[in-house]
Amino acid sequence: MGELPRRIQKETQRLLSEPVAGISASPYQDNLRYFNVVLAGPATSPFEGGIFRLELFLPEEYPMAPPKVRFLTKIYHPNIDKLGRICLDILKDKWSPALQVRTVLLSIQALLSAPNPEDPLDAGVADHWKSNEAAAIEEAKRWTQQYATGSLP
Amino acid sequence: MAEKIKIPRNFKLLDELEKGEKGQNSDGVTVGLAIHDDITLTHWNGTIFGPPGTTFDNRIYALSLSCSDRYPQIPPSLRFNSKINLPYIDQTTGVANPSKCPGIADWKEADTMDTVLYKIRRDLCTPNNRKLPQPAENSTYQ
Repeated sequence: MGELPRRIQKETQRLLSEPVAGISASPYQDNLRYFNVVLAGPATSPFEGGIFRLELFLPEEYPMAPPKVRFLTKIYHPNIDKLGRICLDILKDKWSPALQVRTVLLSIQALLSAPNPEDPLDAGVADHWKSNEAAAIEEAKRWTQQYATGSLP
Repeated sequence: MAEKIKIPRNFKLLDELEKGEKGQNSDGVTVGLAIHDDITLTHWNGTIFGPPGTTFDNRIYALSLSCSDRYPQIPPSLRFNSKINLPYIDQTTGVANPSKCPGIADWKEADTMDTVLYKIRRDLCTPNNRKLPQPAENSTYQ
């Protein structure tokens, strides 16, 4: 493998030396643009107590293009679809090269604390959230207990 | 030395999925997930529309593709569900012979499932294949 851009090297070093609370992100040895991410469900959210695995990739155009991120753990959330794809503005048209992997991970953590059924990716989950929020939260808790059972490294 | 960028399996497959969802597959073929919540992105469905001017004309061939953990270093495996008479398709199971099937035999890491189906469809038009007698329409392998 050739030289990794300096910016990615620096971001990686900082992610490893000063990790964000509740999030671990480490590059795979055979592909330093590809990260294994483990995220603890935020306190007082339906995802509390859950440990969620994600994958993140920095494409060739990064930082002019946003990172690509996906949940690998199943999650019941109106802005995350059944394949783990995430609807988040900074991963699309609101991306700016001033943002970093760190900011993306913090935003995903915040999205778990504040689901937004008005901008859904999974229409079924969003309808559930809007029509009966209490029941939807219970379902999200059940999924958390059933699927998000790993541990932080 | 320039950095060689490798797109991880899952993100490559998500790109392939998105292309299918947007209707951007090659002419006469489709590719999509077989199970809509298959988070492992392993099992796929494809179709090939028989090209005009051949014995395959006016038929829709359904097939299954499977992408292993080592995709795209190794190509997808492919099996026809609709019966089709072709030299590289096993006539009992519908499984494509990976060392003979166009798109799979000459697989490169940058290729996609769409490329494979495109090459098979193109192969249906070659002088060797275009007049091959075909099984009854709508018959399937078990």
